[in-house]
Amino acid sequence: MDDAEREARRIRRESWAAENLGRQAAVMEDLAGRADDTLGWLALDRQAGSYLRHLATWKRSKGFTGINDMLDAHQGRLQDWQGQAAAATAETAGVDPGEVAAARAQLGLRLAVIGKGGAGKTVISSTIARLLARQGRNVLVADMDVNPGLSYSIGLGNADVALPLEVLEENPGAAYGWQLRTGLLPREVVEKHTVTGPDGVRVTGLGKIGSEDKHEAKRTVVALIQVLLGFGEPAWDVIGDLEAGPTTPFERYHAFSEDVVVVTGPAWRSAMTARRLLPMVGEGRTTTIVGNRFRDEPDHPGLAPKVRIPFDPDVAEAERLGLSPIDECPDSPTIKAIEELAALFTSTEVRA
Amino acid sequence: MRIAVCGKGGSGKSMISGALARNLAMRGHTVVAVDADPNPNLGISLGVARETVETMKPILNALLDAGHTHNDPRPLAEDLLDHYSVDAPDGIRLVATGKIERPSDACLCCGSHNTTRQFFGELADTERVVVADLEAGLNDLIWAKPGAEDVVLAVSEGSEKSVEIARRAVVVAEELGVTRIIGVANRSLSVEDAARVAAALGTTEMFRVPEDPAVEHADQLGVAPMDSDPGSPAMVAVSELADLIVKQ
Repeated sequence: MDDAEREARRIRRESWAAENLGRQAAVMEDLAGRADDTLGWLALDRQAGSYLRHLATWKRSKGFTGINDMLDAHQGRLQDWQGQAAAATAETAGVDPGEVAAARAQLGLRLAVIGKGGAGKTVISSTIARLLARQGRNVLVADMDVNPGLSYSIGLGNADVALPLEVLEENPGAAYGWQLRTGLLPREVVEKHTVTGPDGVRVTGLGKIGSEDKHEAKRTVVALIQVLLGFGEPAWDVIGDLEAGPTTPFERYHAFSEDVVVVTGPAWRSAMTARRLLPMVGEGRTTTIVGNRFRDEPDHPGLAPKVRIPFDPDVAEAERLGLSPIDECPDSPTIKAIEELAALFTSTEVRA
Repeated sequence: MRIAVCGKGGSGKSMISGALARNLAMRGHTVVAVDADPNPNLGISLGVARETVETMKPILNALLDAGHTHNDPRPLAEDLLDHYSVDAPDGIRLVATGKIERPSDACLCCGSHNTTRQFFGELADTERVVVADLEAGLNDLIWAKPGAEDVVLAVSEGSEKSVEIARRAVVVAEELGVTRIIGVANRSLSVEDAARVAAALGTTEMFRVPEDPAVEHADQLGVAPMDSDPGSPAMVAVSELADLIVKQ
């Protein structure tokens, strides 16, 4: 790549980024326009917070220095929205503090599941999704791996759950050349263009490598990040099942998340992976270490799990068959432990 | 000869790569082991000390630390090997291509994949045997770009997910023009189960490595099963796999 080419690429990137700020503003306006109760204001506040976290990564990046002023202005607008939301919430709190606490407890999860390959991220993500849906919650679970997996554990076999072509459009400035179709709000994508799985869980994800359509995987990356980052609906839980290890750059892929589950197994290298992943989780997120498939092995030093999920041959058999553990062995101690884990995030106690 | 080992996370790529490299080295080959995982851990399966594995500097990270930019001429693979490899048992030299250490390494994955491609590519015409343990999944296979002269091992344990990823790896390797693709049914519970994996992969060569508590135990301790229990069923199987690979 020569200098002229590099410069042309930089301009394409920046013009894509500038357009993307407009999309974020549209999401904010949509949420603000519908915010008619405390829950709505809290959702607006949270959405602004997600975009601000993401914006911080752009401001640190060398790639967008040409649109610094636009980034600053966008930051100001997001902070204004946060201010509006805070004022509305404070007003309610002055009258009825209980209402704010109750609304806060209704806010859905934004959960990312990470860990070494084979640690059990997918079984845990999909089982949490199914359990929450059974409690009557609205759940979106996203397969953020370009290798197949989540569809099996959620109970959809080898179904294609990737974002469909109709929600995508080409843009030469987007990474891999594709993004979410202009004018489409993330919530519209979730409503109309995701696969409905067992218990009503909505399933979406990246395209897969090795599919007949060679470009499927790359085409979906930016759009999925745009959907997850901009899906601000307050009464929905969002769970992202990340790719193995540290590859999918965290700041972009899990920018949507507020809670992060780090899955470890009994193997020493799985603990080493967790030690490498933990510093990458980033500030402002809670981190929960989970031990999966343990028999009688001791905990890893310094990585005591909050929940220890026992090994169960019935779950291994469900995995062998490519079926959903919660369907195949609903009474398994594995499922019971994942229930315990899910409860950590859905407790009605007010969270800081 | 270059051997690229791929498969789902947790399928046993590193165990197979490590034990295979040791077996080839013990047969007198000069072996370079390439850890292409951005979460490098192949050293464990080779018998390198845990602390060394945890702290060793991959090529990409070392070059970045040294202030290297894409405008600088890239050092030759031989020099990189001399500078950044660590010694593993049986005379093996282990080198990692790249490691993602910070969230701000947002673009390091491309750099890591590129380093893998260049380094793996430059080691094509040497007398050595190169064993490359690729990142979980298929992405790295496309980056590493093995070709007609190379061997690809598609490793799968028995789960449907793992089999599906290995099946796709076979498809991708075929498209890259690799002619020798060996399916490996790892952690196999029975001959029948290995036959099921074999049928799904459809490779002309297929190999079974049995489930082995000795491997699991070594894994838990973070040591190489080649050192802790070289006579265990899985290690005997990998030794046979080494024979199969070099026989031709």
